[in-house]
Amino acid sequence: MNTTLNKTLRLTGLALAGLMSFSVQANQAKQLQVDNPFVREMPPVAPATAAFMTLINAGDQPIAVVRADSDAAKTVELHTHIDDNGVMRMREIPEISVPAIGQTELKPGGLHVMLIGPTRALTEGDIVDIKLIMQDGSEKMIQAPVRKIMGMGMNRPAGSGQGMMHKHH
Amino acid sequence: MPQHKLNRSFLLLTLAFGVFLAGSYALIYVLKPTSDTHPSANRISLESPPGGDFTLTSPNGEVSLSDFKGKLVLIYFGYTFCPDICPTNLGNLSVAYRQISQSQRDNLVILFISVDPERDSPQRLQQYADYFDSNIIGLTSTPEVIAEVARRYGAVYERVDDGSENYAVDHSAFTYVVDQNGVLREQLPHTHGPEQFLDVINRYLN
Ligand SMILES: [Cu+2]
Repeated sequence: MNTTLNKTLRLTGLALAGLMSFSVQANQAKQLQVDNPFVREMPPVAPATAAFMTLINAGDQPIAVVRADSDAAKTVELHTHIDDNGVMRMREIPEISVPAIGQTELKPGGLHVMLIGPTRALTEGDIVDIKLIMQDGSEKMIQAPVRKIMGMGMNRPAGSGQGMMHKHH
Repeated sequence: MPQHKLNRSFLLLTLAFGVFLAGSYALIYVLKPTSDTHPSANRISLESPPGGDFTLTSPNGEVSLSDFKGKLVLIYFGYTFCPDICPTNLGNLSVAYRQISQSQRDNLVILFISVDPERDSPQRLQQYADYFDSNIIGLTSTPEVIAEVARRYGAVYERVDDGSENYAVDHSAFTYVVDQNGVLREQLPHTHGPEQFLDVINRYLN
């Protein structure tokens, strides 16, 4: 409850700031905040991996990320997963939209920035530069640390598994 | 006697009809995989998949489900080119694995069966499985054998041909639970986190 309120206040504040500073020309990249970006470390033989993050739109207009780029992979695509009765179908999508005063989460099993053909071994500790390109042509650079998948789980912040270590002993 | 004869022909007719029904059913069954290109056709095809024994190939030779009698077996179908769904599932399994006791580990087997036998050699598959550090055995075979095993466990998959070498394979993401007697007991959904895998392992191995 409290965190939701805080978030709302924060978003509203950001939105106001956004409106004031960009009243002349809306620059989508500047209104987009990227929270908790990370790239999943993959087994050495895997030819692709994904970047996840939370996209927060402080503006009063929806924002669309239409492309992503990175020097860490030969091909970078925007993807989603469709759960078709238990069959996970991964598909490239033309854009990832972030609603006005809202957010879109890129997470395992759903939306992601797909890094196909890594140009180097992406292992924990590495930082991957990713450029997000908006519909209006503006760009945002983000730095996503590479994280090990073990213990990450679905939507789970790193280290949250600690609490159950001794549950069954 | 005519009455007897009538009974007999009725019996024959019923039999014939039965054979016809069985035949039609078998035909539908056989034809089903070919309709996989239709998006809505690729559903979990069997209400209660029979499961059963199988023999597949690991880097160290043939492995059969029946080799693990007396142990709990978790089976997952996937492929090493899978950038998100397989690593999430195997990662969750490995987190659960790290929290079970040694005696539970001794009585648990995790199998990762490739639905992409064209690209996944046994060695490549095992290298991938070893990354998860939870004693997962990577298994593959000919496309025909994989298809048959998947069908019996209710796993479905479909290659997405985009013309590139990096084609994806859509696949169901269930983890199949086979008990100590080799009986397929349940299928766990993709959304299962480490705690839920842990609960299942504790339920069968206590
Ligand atoms: Cu993808």
